[in-house]
Order: sequence, then C-alpha cells, then structure tokens
Amino acid sequence: MMENIKENRVEYFILFVAITVFMFFIYTFRFNRQMLILLSGIGSSFYIIWGIIHQWLRGKMSRSVIYEYVLFGILVFLLFFTVLSF
Amino acid sequence: MFDYSKQKDENQNISKYWRKNPKSIEKYQFVHHFLPKPDKRKRADFLENKAILIYCVFILVITAVFRIIPKVAPGVLGYASDINITDLLKYTNKKRGENGVSNLRLNDKLSAAAQKKAKDMFEDGYWAHVAPDGTEPWDFIVGEDYEYIYAGENLAKNFSTSKEVVEAWFKSPSHKSNLIGANYEEVGFAVVNGVMNGYETTLVVQMFGKPRQPSMLASVDDGAVNIGKNTVSASEAEPANTEGDSNVRSETSVSEEPSGTESVESEPIPSGSSANKFIDVTLATKTISLVVGGFVVSLLLIDILYSRKKGIRKFTGLTLAHMAILLVVIISIWLVFRPGLVV
Repeated sequence: MMENIKENRVEYFILFVAITVFMFFIYTFRFNRQMLILLSGIGSSFYIIWGIIHQWLRGKMSRSVIYEYVLFGILVFLLFFTVLSF
Repeated sequence: MFDYSKQKDENQNISKYWRKNPKSIEKYQFVHHFLPKPDKRKRADFLENKAILIYCVFILVITAVFRIIPKVAPGVLGYASDINITDLLKYTNKKRGENGVSNLRLNDKLSAAAQKKAKDMFEDGYWAHVAPDGTEPWDFIVGEDYEYIYAGENLAKNFSTSKEVVEAWFKSPSHKSNLIGANYEEVGFAVVNGVMNGYETTLVVQMFGKPRQPSMLASVDDGAVNIGKNTVSASEAEPANTEGDSNVRSETSVSEEPSGTESVESEPIPSGSSANKFIDVTLATKTISLVVGGFVVSLLLIDILYSRKKGIRKFTGLTLAHMAILLVVIISIWLVFRPGLVV
C-alpha cells in the first residue's frame, strides 16, 4: 500500500487536498441541500477526471479503467443523492 | 527432476477431498467472488465494472421506489423528528444570548398564529411565507388579535431535532436576522406533523413580534421559559386594532419556490401525538447508502490486503483511491447529512 502511495505521491496529494476541501465545504453547507447536491456532483466529477488523468499520465489508460472511474464517480454521486433527495 | 507420481498422488488427494466435501466447493465458489483473480489480474467479481453498475442501478431503483410509494400509499414514508417548543425556545434564546440580544418570551397568540399558519400550509399544500391565495404571515398574527410593531416569520421542515432547526436558521443570513433581531420581544412556535406531498413530515413555524400594547409585557416574567405564565399574560392582552398601521415587517427571504404543486393527503396531526407509524425515509435512504458504500469499501479493503499477500498486480484503477473517496462519502453521510429545509 505504501509503495502504491509513494509511486503516485503527487496524485494522492492532490486527491488528499481535494478531499479535505470537499469535507470542509460539506460541513459548511450542511444545512443547504441544493449546495450539497451541487458539491456531490462536483466531487464525483473531479474524481472521474482525477482518475482518468492519473491513468493517462501513467500510460495505463484503457477503456475498462475509464469505465471503472466513471462508475465509481457515479456511485459516489448516487450515494449522496439518494440521501439528499428526501 | 519432477516427481510425477507425487504430483499424481496430490491431485488424487485433492479430488478425494472435494468428493467428500461437496459443500466446500460451494463455499470456495462463493468466497471466490470476493477475492481478486490472479490469473486474469482483475479484482473480485463483486468489484467488476458490471457489479458497480448493478449497485448504481440498485440505488436508482430504491430512490425511484421511495418516490413512487408516497403516490401509491401516502403517509407510509415520512421524516421522524424530535422537535418541541421548549427546546426551540431554549436554543433560540441561547443564540440571542450569545449575540448579546435579550431573550424572547413565548407568546400564546403568536403560537396560535404559527399553528394556524402550519395548518394552512398543510391544507393548501404550500410551503412558503405567502400562501397561494396571497395570505401573508401577518394576516395570521393579526387574526389572533396580536397588535404588533414588528413581526417576522421563520419556517422549517424535515429536520430531526430542535437544535438542528435553530442551527439551520442561524446559518441562513435572512433567518438569522429574525432569530437575533433586537426589535423582537416575543415569539410563538408551532410544530405540526402532517402528510405533505405523500410524505409524513414535520413543519416548524416560528413567529416573532414586538407588541404594541405595553400591558402585554407587564404581566410576563423576565424571559424565563414559563409557558403557563405566558399563556396567562397573552390572554390578558387587549384586542388589537391593526387597521391602517404602518407596521415594520421583518420577513425572511424565500430560498425555495412556493410549492403550490405539492399535494396534501391528510389533515395535520398536532405535534406530540403518536402518529409516527411510518418508515423514516431519511433513515432508510441513509442506511441503504451506508450499507452499499460499506460493502464496496470492505471489498476494496479485501482486494488490497489479498493482493498484497499474494503479490497480485492488477490492470485496474487505484483501489486505494476508490476506497478513500467512498470513505469520504460514508463519513459525510454518517456525520453530516440530515438537511431539512428552511424558508
């Protein structure tokens, strides 16, 4: 696991910063449902783009991996959206 | 030199074992779905793209079902809440105290006006400061013979606790200006359960006022939370005549469109009655999201540990990143998410 982190140090750092900022905004706007849905969309889109760029930089891009990041991004959004839509 | 006879014996022993333990084969096949595939250099079956797609579809179907149920069986789904007037007043005055503003006294007439406003919203199927027929909050206050110099209204729905309601109002600038408004001296609350848009829900109405008649203040204790005393004082107030008054009205901004299309399925139920025989839609969706998210995170963790142990290198995306982002979702949903709505 540590090897994986060391190999992708920059990408993981960017992801860590993004997650921290995301969590801050989630907490700040915790009473604003529309904003939370918007944040969920932005967060999941960022993750898809982050994943695809990472794979592209590492030369490990394939259709299957792109689908993988897209599906995980959609899953993240839907998990938020289901709770926020009621 | 390779010993074929020894290899043959081993294979025979394995075959014997499987023949004697058919259930072990089933167990192996079942566990196999949870473990990464060294030969294909892929994740477990339950983490394949198809499986993730199935989880997404499952969540979408659940969301759709929870949307359809209220139309087919109104009142089955709802929002469970533990909101009461004593706590609302306590947290309101706490916020005012923290901001150097005097405490509000509970006024029975303002509470009655708030109760009628809540009932009107359920009956006419709207959730806004101004009713579809143009009735304004002040009409309810005046209707209770409360003659005021200043008046204001805050609304909330779908919250679970009194503290969350007051916190949400405090977070919104327009509601905050009412909440800690120095012009107000009295407040009234209504916490009403009913079915709106097919969902059992709790509406909270908070009405602020500064009475025109000083006599209304004279008989009230100094800001203590004493509902009985304030009820008496309110009943002693003289009938008000507000015709032609140039009253200053403090009104919160409407952040959600007046929901005139919402359908009301039943009469409002007074707060405190035991009408909570419904499925809490918030708890249900939260649980489903946490279970699905937790299941996928568990599989990803198994994938990381098993791959590390067996030295499996896979042609996939970053498992650790998937796990991190899903953990963020789980933590957010677990700790933060329960947003009601305020206008």
